Amino acid sequence: MRKLVAVMRREYLERVRKKSFLVGTILGPLLMGLMIFAPALMMRFSPEQQAGIAVIDLTGSIYAQVEAALGDTLADGTPMFRLREERAGVEDVEQVRRRLGAEVEHDALDGYIVIPADILETGAAVYYGKRLGDIKAIERVTSALSNVVIGMRLASRGVEYGEIRELVSRVKLETMQIKGGGREQEGGFDLIFFSSFLFIMMLYMTILMWGIAVQRSIIEDKNSRVIEVLLSSLRPADLMFGKIFGVGAVGLTQYAIWGILGVLMAIYGLALGGQAALAAQSLSPATLGFFVLYYLLGFLFYATMFAAIGAVCNTDQEAQQMQTPIVLCLAFTILVPMIVIQRPDSGFATVVSLIPFFTPIVMFMRINVLMPPVWQIALSVAIMVVAVWATGHLAAKIFRTGILMYGKKPDAREILRWLRRA
Amino acid sequence: MLSLEKVTKRYAGHTAVEDLSLVVEPGVIYGLLGPNGAGKTTTIRMTMGIIEPDEGTIRLFDEPFSEKSKERIGYLPEERGLYRKMKVLDHLVFLGAIKGLPSQAAAARARRWLERVELADWADKPVEALSKGMQQKVQFVSTILHEPRLVILDEPFSGLDPLNTQLLMDIIVAMKNDGITLILSTHLMDQVEKLCGRICLIDRGRKVLDGKLDEIKRRFGHNVVSIRVPGGRAVFESHPAVAAVRETGRDLALTLNDGFDPGEILRHALGRGPVERFEIGEMSLHDIFIAQVRERGAGPDA
Repeated sequence: MRKLVAVMRREYLERVRKKSFLVGTILGPLLMGLMIFAPALMMRFSPEQQAGIAVIDLTGSIYAQVEAALGDTLADGTPMFRLREERAGVEDVEQVRRRLGAEVEHDALDGYIVIPADILETGAAVYYGKRLGDIKAIERVTSALSNVVIGMRLASRGVEYGEIRELVSRVKLETMQIKGGGREQEGGFDLIFFSSFLFIMMLYMTILMWGIAVQRSIIEDKNSRVIEVLLSSLRPADLMFGKIFGVGAVGLTQYAIWGILGVLMAIYGLALGGQAALAAQSLSPATLGFFVLYYLLGFLFYATMFAAIGAVCNTDQEAQQMQTPIVLCLAFTILVPMIVIQRPDSGFATVVSLIPFFTPIVMFMRINVLMPPVWQIALSVAIMVVAVWATGHLAAKIFRTGILMYGKKPDAREILRWLRRA
Repeated sequence: MLSLEKVTKRYAGHTAVEDLSLVVEPGVIYGLLGPNGAGKTTTIRMTMGIIEPDEGTIRLFDEPFSEKSKERIGYLPEERGLYRKMKVLDHLVFLGAIKGLPSQAAAARARRWLERVELADWADKPVEALSKGMQQKVQFVSTILHEPRLVILDEPFSGLDPLNTQLLMDIIVAMKNDGITLILSTHLMDQVEKLCGRICLIDRGRKVLDGKLDEIKRRFGHNVVSIRVPGGRAVFESHPAVAAVRETGRDLALTLNDGFDPGEILRHALGRGPVERFEIGEMSLHDIFIAQVRERGAGPDA
């Protein structure tokens, strides 16, 4: 036991003392947050530009209405669209289109719309442009054109469009999450999704990163030949578990630092009020407790497997091949949140959250979205403990035989033989 | 101290050690010799409990091997390895700790030993800042820090300059005088002749010979003559007493056939010209080693 602690201590101190540890700990969640929020932020803050659009109105009568419907302005007050009507008859439309096409090509114009004479019947028009990715502008044009056409169709039957619009206006639904104890909290899909996603990304990254760190550490010992001195001093199992616990403790230290930063940010957020306060409230101590618990269980489960791989491989490249199925199992849990978040109490979510490979992330996600029954949480923890015991046991056997093998990597059949014999 | 009885270790495809028995008495320096691939490292690893023999028994300190035994052994493997980023003193304390040594005691002893091997100024430097020879000395210190009763040194002198080699030899002799048992595995026969009281020669997993070094040399070394003549080896060409001629620098080492008197060689040489140097000597361990391994190589075992 004392030897295990010595290995653990070394593994821990050598990692925590590195400058890169502190930098990674602080930058990690920031980068992860950026990754999650960046697309939304970019959409919101992308520089808006006026779009120059020409309209060939073959009906000869709706351009004015379209222009009126596209009266949106940009954030700075300038009109969103610079519209211009191109008069053309059915005879010379091709000629006009060629001219406009050239203008678009030379960036004098963003695009042009051809409104056919029979638009009221067909309900179809064509937009020609070079950049079709400006979804926001195209969306606006579509809806403006639709409104005009709908209005005209209604008018032709003697109905006033303004009146209809009032009658069919949509209901605005606010979402409130019911928390335990009769509390209700404002919060929508976005808030739940993003906070859950940030948490599970952190779980995923730390389990993967520190699990592979264990594997690397073992391969490094083999390559630097320290291993022989170590094994002449302690039992292989002491070495393996010392490394796993030491690296795991590094991860816990990271969580502690995040916890402190999180509390500071929550206090700041509460002081700010508004959305920030809401976000702060979603960080309950129970959530943080489960966060750490599932990190520990998930890390131990995966790290023992990575340790066994490290023991039978001589280089990181070799190990990468062998670890792929395990990494895929872990990555799978990143793919299911969309399903779980929509139906956190579905049969699928329940079953997946009780399979050891997926439990740490999926069960944590469920807890975060909609608290599952206590027995399910207890069962998941029990299953994980048994799974960790089993993988630890098997890994120790593989480790003992594999650790001194240099040269040829054993195949699956050989590893099975070790397991039977040991 | 250590005894192996009919120990066999097989790996897929070949037998590394076969039916090997040997006894290491306490308080000696025991030379474990053999060509590359003879099974020395496997034998050592089994002794340390790193791997288990397939057959036979190993007794250490007159008891079956146990985890506790590891704390009384010091092992310097042939392939050296230290954590490059760790500080020298921290590293020694760590290696002491996994031998069961409390860190305070380990640190104090480590400082004393670093002083002794002239590395005191390097205690707080990372291992990678040290030269290869220095790292070697650090590793040697780590081997004996926990005051083991049995020390196993695999090629301890490789990479050391003559000064450091002497330093290490002095420490080894001092340890032997303190009653510590040492097993020395090396290819340097000079060092073996200087240090070892007993040796065991193994080849292809089997014991070729073992016993007291003096006795072995007496057994093999009575019929060797070292001679320096201006005429060179031609002088002894086809002489009936000479079994083999080997040039050793300016001298010739002659191995005589059994039953011939070295004096006859001297008389023969003087009849052909001046003799600058003549010595009736023992066969060096080097020659015994080569002769034994070659002989076996030609035998049915090959």
